[in-house]
Amino acid sequence: MQKLLSAIASRLVIIVPYAWLLIFFLIPFLIVFKISLSTSAISMPPYTPAFEGIGTWLESARKFTVDNYVWITEDALYAKAYLSSVIIAAVSTVLTLLLGFPLAYGMARAPQSIRPTLLMLVILPFWTSFLIRVYAWIGILKPEGLLNQFLLWTGVISEPLQILNTHTAIFIGIVYSYLPFMVLPIYSTLEKMDYSLIEAAQDLGCPPITAFWKITLPLAIPGILAGCLLVFIPAVGEFVIPDLLGGSRTLMIGKTLWSEFFNNRDWPLASAVAIILLLLLVVPIVLFQNAQARAQEAGK
Amino acid sequence: MTRSTLFMTAVSVLAFGLAAGQASAQERVVNVYNWSDYIDESILADFTKETGIKVVYDVFDSNEILETKLLAGGTGYDVVVPTGTFLARQIQAGVFQKLDKSKLPNISNMWDKIEARTDKYDPGNQYSINYMWGTTGIGYNKAKVKEALGTDQIDSWDVVFKPENIAKLADCGVYMLDAPAEMIPAALNWLGKNPDSKTAEDIEAAQAALEAIRPSIRKFHSSEYINALANGDICLAVGWSGDVFQARDRAAEAKQGVEIAYSIPKEGAQMWFDQMAIPADAPHVAEAHEFLNYIMKPEVIAKASNYVFYANGNKASQKLLDQAVIGDPAVYPDEATTDKLFTTTPPDNKEQRLMTRAWTRVVTGQ
Amino acid sequence: MKSLGSIRKSFAPWSDPDAKPYIVFRNVTKRFGDFTAVDDLSLTIFEREFFALLGASGCGKSTLLRMLAGFEEPTAGEILLDGQDLRGVPPYRRPVNMMFQSYALFPHMTVEKNIAFGLRQDGMPKPQIAERVAEMLKLVKLEKFARRKPHQLSGGQRQRVALARSVAKRPKVLLLDEPLGALDKKLREETQFELMDLQQDLGLTFVVVTHDQEEAMTMADRIAVMDHGKIKQVATPPEVYEAPSSRFVADFIGNVNLFEGPVSEVDPSGATIRGADGFAIHAANAGTARKDETAWFAIRPEKIRITSQQPEGAGPNSIDGEVWDIAYLGDMTIIHVRLDSGKVIRASMINSARGSDNPLTWGDRAWISFAPDAGVVLTN
Repeated sequence: MQKLLSAIASRLVIIVPYAWLLIFFLIPFLIVFKISLSTSAISMPPYTPAFEGIGTWLESARKFTVDNYVWITEDALYAKAYLSSVIIAAVSTVLTLLLGFPLAYGMARAPQSIRPTLLMLVILPFWTSFLIRVYAWIGILKPEGLLNQFLLWTGVISEPLQILNTHTAIFIGIVYSYLPFMVLPIYSTLEKMDYSLIEAAQDLGCPPITAFWKITLPLAIPGILAGCLLVFIPAVGEFVIPDLLGGSRTLMIGKTLWSEFFNNRDWPLASAVAIILLLLLVVPIVLFQNAQARAQEAGK
Repeated sequence: MTRSTLFMTAVSVLAFGLAAGQASAQERVVNVYNWSDYIDESILADFTKETGIKVVYDVFDSNEILETKLLAGGTGYDVVVPTGTFLARQIQAGVFQKLDKSKLPNISNMWDKIEARTDKYDPGNQYSINYMWGTTGIGYNKAKVKEALGTDQIDSWDVVFKPENIAKLADCGVYMLDAPAEMIPAALNWLGKNPDSKTAEDIEAAQAALEAIRPSIRKFHSSEYINALANGDICLAVGWSGDVFQARDRAAEAKQGVEIAYSIPKEGAQMWFDQMAIPADAPHVAEAHEFLNYIMKPEVIAKASNYVFYANGNKASQKLLDQAVIGDPAVYPDEATTDKLFTTTPPDNKEQRLMTRAWTRVVTGQ
Repeated sequence: MKSLGSIRKSFAPWSDPDAKPYIVFRNVTKRFGDFTAVDDLSLTIFEREFFALLGASGCGKSTLLRMLAGFEEPTAGEILLDGQDLRGVPPYRRPVNMMFQSYALFPHMTVEKNIAFGLRQDGMPKPQIAERVAEMLKLVKLEKFARRKPHQLSGGQRQRVALARSVAKRPKVLLLDEPLGALDKKLREETQFELMDLQQDLGLTFVVVTHDQEEAMTMADRIAVMDHGKIKQVATPPEVYEAPSSRFVADFIGNVNLFEGPVSEVDPSGATIRGADGFAIHAANAGTARKDETAWFAIRPEKIRITSQQPEGAGPNSIDGEVWDIAYLGDMTIIHVRLDSGKVIRASMINSARGSDNPLTWGDRAWISFAPDAGVVLTN
């Protein structure tokens, strides 16, 4: 009896993550997928067929259409939006990595006693609203903003730079907002790393820089990958930062999705855009998981 | 309505929420969902004093958000305030219930001229009453425009739609509404075409006109221009009258020497109407009617207009308005100007896509 | 004093005044803030020597090793290797290699790559690297594991990879930081001999840091016993054991019984100590003891005889007490005898005959006795 109970209990423990995935990922995904196969209509909800219950399921399934997907592939605008989102996200990710890695490295090599403080400083911005922080950048980057005033004052420039409403502003915004997501996983891998590995490499004839490339960097790859994904994936679908900091010329899929959903009230098309976006993001996740599995294989 | 609950989970990108509070059975409540900064709050207190009905007041700041909630259903709101073009589609979608005019004796106070125009969105004004109305025109920074153009009086769309004119303002900053339903009719009107036309040919023409001035537009956005104008960051914005007035007031309060003006160009401008309506699934229909009837009292709506500086659709209230409101041609345009104001009908799905696509091309330069 | 002997009979450069030292620590001090890890220490190590630094944790032995490897610079003093001053020479330019206590194997590289790492770094041609790696794998008997990653190996195998990696470059000196610390007892004993063979075969100079005196005794040509950043004694294992220079060393190495008392007589035949435990001790070697000063007589447990009767003709160097504890360990038996003074003496007996019936049991009266040359007199 006891055995049976504990067997059931251990089964239940396994069920929890699956149930979580089912309720918060799979079911919503299927609902969105179903809407993406519908046709937009002036009704409540604004598409047809609406799901009328199990009984009429088959009947409404017959009305499903892939028109929305066809439309997306036919109009180059969507491809351009996806592509430009991926490029913007990729560039931002690289920039975040270039800034985040030295930061994480410095933190991991800092004296044990001040590491919690440094960690705290990295997390601190989360204590204010994301929106407010992005808004603050408007004040910094605008032509009469703090940055331009400072640069004018130092004499580096003689005319205000137009940074706000450009790609540069989007990069700044994304790098700033997602930096902690890059720093934290890299920091945690570097912090776990045995420093004697570096000493061993030096002992075997590596100058410090070579030791960094041959030992530190390869061992930090799981953290770097995790950080890059944590930045890249939300950055692809980012809406707020390009909306507030970017110029109108910036074509990003998040904004396209928003306008399909809100401006056009075209929920089915917006759902199709979202499904494709999701598939687009699943690829790097799968690659990452493969890399993780391989790292596990090679692991500590 | 369980379907919509599931639906909300699906589209979790959006912040849905059941804002309206639950009240006990005995207490009479009305849940009102209105635009932010759009009422003198003492009106709500007075209503409760007079009727004993508690007002749960919640605000939104975009028609799109309101519409998404309404189309998903189950909002719990009793009174909502969509703009006419949105209202029209929402009525078609079955979002609202017909008003019981027998419970709205004050409807006799309404202004027939406005009713004649809102009839286009709400045939027979069966579903809604007008709360406020305004125009889509040009807001500008007087000093900066004078510096660039040599005059601080703008009276024509030429300033916006002639590329050589707008180019002179490009450096000091031009914003435009990110709304095809506003900008395409404005372009068509300037081109001398029917602003309500939705033919592919006309939309293409509007697109071309807008693309010609695209290089001079710093940003397309439907709310940021309020701050940008008020702070003196830009010198011109095509925007909604009420928003420009808000920018004007903020600039005046800040005392930084920024003076904002609003112009209804002589070629005419689009009129917009914010309509009060009752959702089909409103939980407190009787209270909602009482609220609408109260709003239509001349002294109440006059108080609201005096507070927010918008024109209202209540004829009887006009003698009670402050001179600063009724006497301002930007708020209550004269007869000649009013005749030039136009309205548009909502596009169907195909037309909507056509317009959005044209608009995206203009905005992104793709 | 003449050396009591060493494992390699012919190898004793330290007793040859003409021998050239290979590694020299001269008045080396290392401070970390307020803490002095190594305190004005001088030491010479000879080529091809197997040298052990022995001490409790925190005694400064690892710091000494790390200074030799180049990971730390001395605060004062100098370190010479083969006549070259090592000051300012970074670790990657020193002709020494280290085997780390944690092994520090690169987790992302195979066994092969780990071993080849230093060779590649030196730009050795590929065929030669392959040859050397194969040779090393053979040396540590890991030929079959060349393609494994460190996490796929057992603790003993990892230790051997670390060893192979550190000797692959044929360093002048191999530094070993607690090389056997992570292995279980049986493996440790086996590996001790392997290490000794390896050192002989390769003809390298080994400097090993350990806290395990047995390990040091087994492997080293000489042992330096360290305490608080200073060296207490440098000598061969038999010397350190049989002739400790201080109570600290006597106590640190193996077990010892100490009898304290004033020196009543010093003459050519030795010294007599009036033991506080109620009996006189006559030691054949007076050491540095002087009359009327306090001295300690140190004697190892296995040098003490235990009998149930008073030994015949015994004058000094014997006393009786009560059998307090008996521990049978298989190869020997440990007996604790409590003297009337309350002091407990530890004695051990080899169980040379199988099932030898020990007449002694708990509570019995027993006599302990020892020869005059069985222990040493210590004065500090």
